[in-house]
Amino acid sequence: MVKKLSKIITAWVPQESKVIDFGCGDGSLLKELIDSKKILGYGVEINNKKIEECIAKGVPVIKQDIDKGLHEFESSNFDISIMARSIQCLKDPSLALNRMLKLSKRCVVTLPNLGYWKCRINLVSGKMPVTPELPSSWHETENIHLCTINDFENLCEEQNIKIKDKVFLNSKGKQSKIVSMSPNLLATEGVYLLEKE
Amino acid sequence: MKTKTELMSFTDGINLESGDRLDAFELMVESYGELNESKTNAVLVCHAFSGNHFAAGKNDDGETGWWDQIIGPDKAIDTNKFFVICCNNLGGCSGSTGPKSINPKTNKAYGSSFPQVSVSDWVNSQKILMEKLNIPSWEMVLGGSLGGMQALQWSIAYPEKIKKAGIFAAAAKSSTQNIAMNEVARESIRKDRNFHDGNYIEQGVIPKNGIKTARMLGHITYLSEKHMNSRFGRKFQDNDSKVDQDVDFEVENYLQYKGEKFSEVFDANTYILMTKAMDGYDAAGKLNGLENALEGVTAELLIIGFYSDWLYPPERGKEIQIAAMNNNIKSSYVVLDGEHGHDSFLFHNDQYSQIIRKFIQS
Repeated sequence: MVKKLSKIITAWVPQESKVIDFGCGDGSLLKELIDSKKILGYGVEINNKKIEECIAKGVPVIKQDIDKGLHEFESSNFDISIMARSIQCLKDPSLALNRMLKLSKRCVVTLPNLGYWKCRINLVSGKMPVTPELPSSWHETENIHLCTINDFENLCEEQNIKIKDKVFLNSKGKQSKIVSMSPNLLATEGVYLLEKE
Repeated sequence: MKTKTELMSFTDGINLESGDRLDAFELMVESYGELNESKTNAVLVCHAFSGNHFAAGKNDDGETGWWDQIIGPDKAIDTNKFFVICCNNLGGCSGSTGPKSINPKTNKAYGSSFPQVSVSDWVNSQKILMEKLNIPSWEMVLGGSLGGMQALQWSIAYPEKIKKAGIFAAAAKSSTQNIAMNEVARESIRKDRNFHDGNYIEQGVIPKNGIKTARMLGHITYLSEKHMNSRFGRKFQDNDSKVDQDVDFEVENYLQYKGEKFSEVFDANTYILMTKAMDGYDAAGKLNGLENALEGVTAELLIIGFYSDWLYPPERGKEIQIAAMNNNIKSSYVVLDGEHGHDSFLFHNDQYSQIIRKFIQS
């Protein structure tokens, strides 16, 4: 899953560009981009253990709570910002999207799809969804702003955010024709390349 | 650990930022580990305000170096791998040329006539030291507090000579509050009746009370409220171990004891000179802002701040980080809990040591 995701994102990141990855985790994606695209990359991470792993990989990293300040990076002229599997954890995803598009021309966002049919079955049976993509129970999850593919695309439209490209992944982390025909029902994850209009 | 302590002479002298000149000077230098054949493992450690060249290991009196928790065999700065150098800064009072030294022109101690030195001057003197040791470039220059300022200045002044810089519990310039605190400390020294305008050596006295009070104030600023609270609380000092009968609380006794000890070893003029250098430092210098100042920096930076540090709080480090990012410098900014306030940079904890270790070895 992660490998496939990084392949999609890598294709969208220009050679030698300046990249910021919000919620960069252990820095694997940035490390890949540094090696394959010779980017100048910075990770933003809140967990010190993960920060340590970034530093071990030689990936520049900044300790920061994303909820508390994306605006601080506005002066740095990034080409592209990335937020993989984190936007649903933020207090104000809409503000975060707009801020990302202020600090970089383009941004990549990936998010789990609550409209995925297995999630719907969970809900129909009267339970909050627990799936391989959303493994935590309702009281343990960090995902406070889950949405469906349609919800997210509606938000982009409302905010005048242009979807330049998108890829939908199935439960095996793969693209397929069937999934792209009905992503709101069949995709587990949406991967977007966004631009401000 | 192979350790060498040496007083090194530099007969070509040094021009100082103030416009003054020292025609010759000496630096007390200590090194740990060994320089490899390709000379690619040299690390410069810069000391903070009251530190000196004795950074690691144990001395004959059983005392340990100020950064012994971080420097040594298999420690964060591993002396099995790196050749670590630390010198007492110019103007210091631990062997390097300073206010206590004899001025060759007058054959008397410099005292208050010792020229004001700056962070840049220290960096320049360390550069002269580096040349004398035939070290082509530093693998890393690092330090905490005033030492962190030197590491930052190294990356600005000599980008081609430094691969990595570690700037811990530091800032690109001292804050108004920092200057204010230091001024109170200096005033207590100046107003000591034994100060004699800084020429107390000639008078055969020491402004001990002034230094002591200065240190007591300084010490409070180095600790965090939480740390002081958990360590001393409102506990009363037991009668047998009171340093003075006026003492009630443990914290009072502690500060009295620390201040007294410090006043026995530290020079008053050095205190004034070092704090002036700290207050006067502004990485942005005469240039237009920090961002411009960092333009030529090529070293990778590691900036570490501590939540409990209210003297040089983490935000000061973040300012450096943002300016570095604006200049496309590879730079990391980490904030750790640290229990000891500003002093946190001195102490080992797993995360802190791991981050230093991984950065220096990455």
